[in-house]
Amino acid sequence: MNQLIYDIAVWLDDSAWSTAIHESYYLYNWIEATHVLTLMLSLGILFIIDMRMMGWVMPNVPATRLAERLNTPMLIGFVVMFITGLLLFYSVPVRTSQSLWFRIKMVLLVVCAVNAYLFHKRMTESMSTWDNEPKAPSRLRKGALISLISWTVIVICGRFIAYDWYDCEYDQSELVRIIAGCVDGQTRF
Amino acid sequence: MNTNRASMLGPYPRTAISVILLALVIAFSFSGLRNGTWVNLLSFFEWMETTPFGLIGKTWGGAFAVVEAFHLVALGVLGGAVIFSDGRLLGLFSSLSLRSVVDGAHKVFNWALITIVATGIFMVCGVAVKVYYLPVFWYKMLLLAVGTLFALYIRKPIVDRAPEDVSPAVLKLTAVASIMIWFTVAAAGRWIGFS
Repeated sequence: MNQLIYDIAVWLDDSAWSTAIHESYYLYNWIEATHVLTLMLSLGILFIIDMRMMGWVMPNVPATRLAERLNTPMLIGFVVMFITGLLLFYSVPVRTSQSLWFRIKMVLLVVCAVNAYLFHKRMTESMSTWDNEPKAPSRLRKGALISLISWTVIVICGRFIAYDWYDCEYDQSELVRIIAGCVDGQTRF
Repeated sequence: MNTNRASMLGPYPRTAISVILLALVIAFSFSGLRNGTWVNLLSFFEWMETTPFGLIGKTWGGAFAVVEAFHLVALGVLGGAVIFSDGRLLGLFSSLSLRSVVDGAHKVFNWALITIVATGIFMVCGVAVKVYYLPVFWYKMLLLAVGTLFALYIRKPIVDRAPEDVSPAVLKLTAVASIMIWFTVAAAGRWIGFS
């Protein structure tokens, strides 16, 4: 599996566009800046919804109506984030695909996606009974808390990708090498 | 509403003072006075690196990165509050009460701003002398001051008035200005990392 991921990463790395993005100071930084600034639209709005469910903010705003209204701008934010994230991966595929932090981030993104699906399903099922309560029901609060914690860890992992502490090119423990899927270090990126 | 209409600064005294303050800050930033102050600040920035925050930031890259991540999360939350509140002023999310949204978002904004400033101070301590020489760092500080003064002393007095007392055009203009200011603050902050 790791070999397959590595082969795909090398194939992406060989494309002219990957090199062009990576070597363009302004293009790479614009993509990265857009990825980070879209936090305001995606993560910021998501956290407001989650904090409302927890009862921490805006207790007098109907919870499900707030979530429904903010859904569209939040999704636009996540789409932009996903596209810029793909471009960032595409520009440095070999190193990124063998990054411990990137892999943890991807697993957490799947956890967040499943959690968001379940949260939305449960919210729609129980909508009319608690909308004006300061706190959402316990099941939804758990989902909101998982979302808040997971996304915070995702941001931390995203920040850690830039650091080389656990890069495959250095001596690493067997556990790190397995999780990071080290095949060929960072001999090319 | 209970504004002091007898004030010589008109119905918006806090706003008028803020505009004067903003003009002074901007005039200072682009005048010769700034250079003299900047030279004198070097010893302060050198001292910042010797504080416990500075030592932690310089010694443990992991601690610096975690604090930076919380800085980013707080930036996201601040942006979310700005987009939600200003979006409501612009006529979006109209099924939600304007007063509840604006007041609720303002509390979120305040907490996010406090977190941003606290984590920001920690981060500056770790790289104080480096950022001292970066023009973009000073632009960011100027923009942050402008943004904070704008949010607390221009935008808030305007949105605190009853909606019927304020022209819809003024509300919309305030919302657009607010979004643009905070987006620029965030972009300038990101550019520090590229410099």
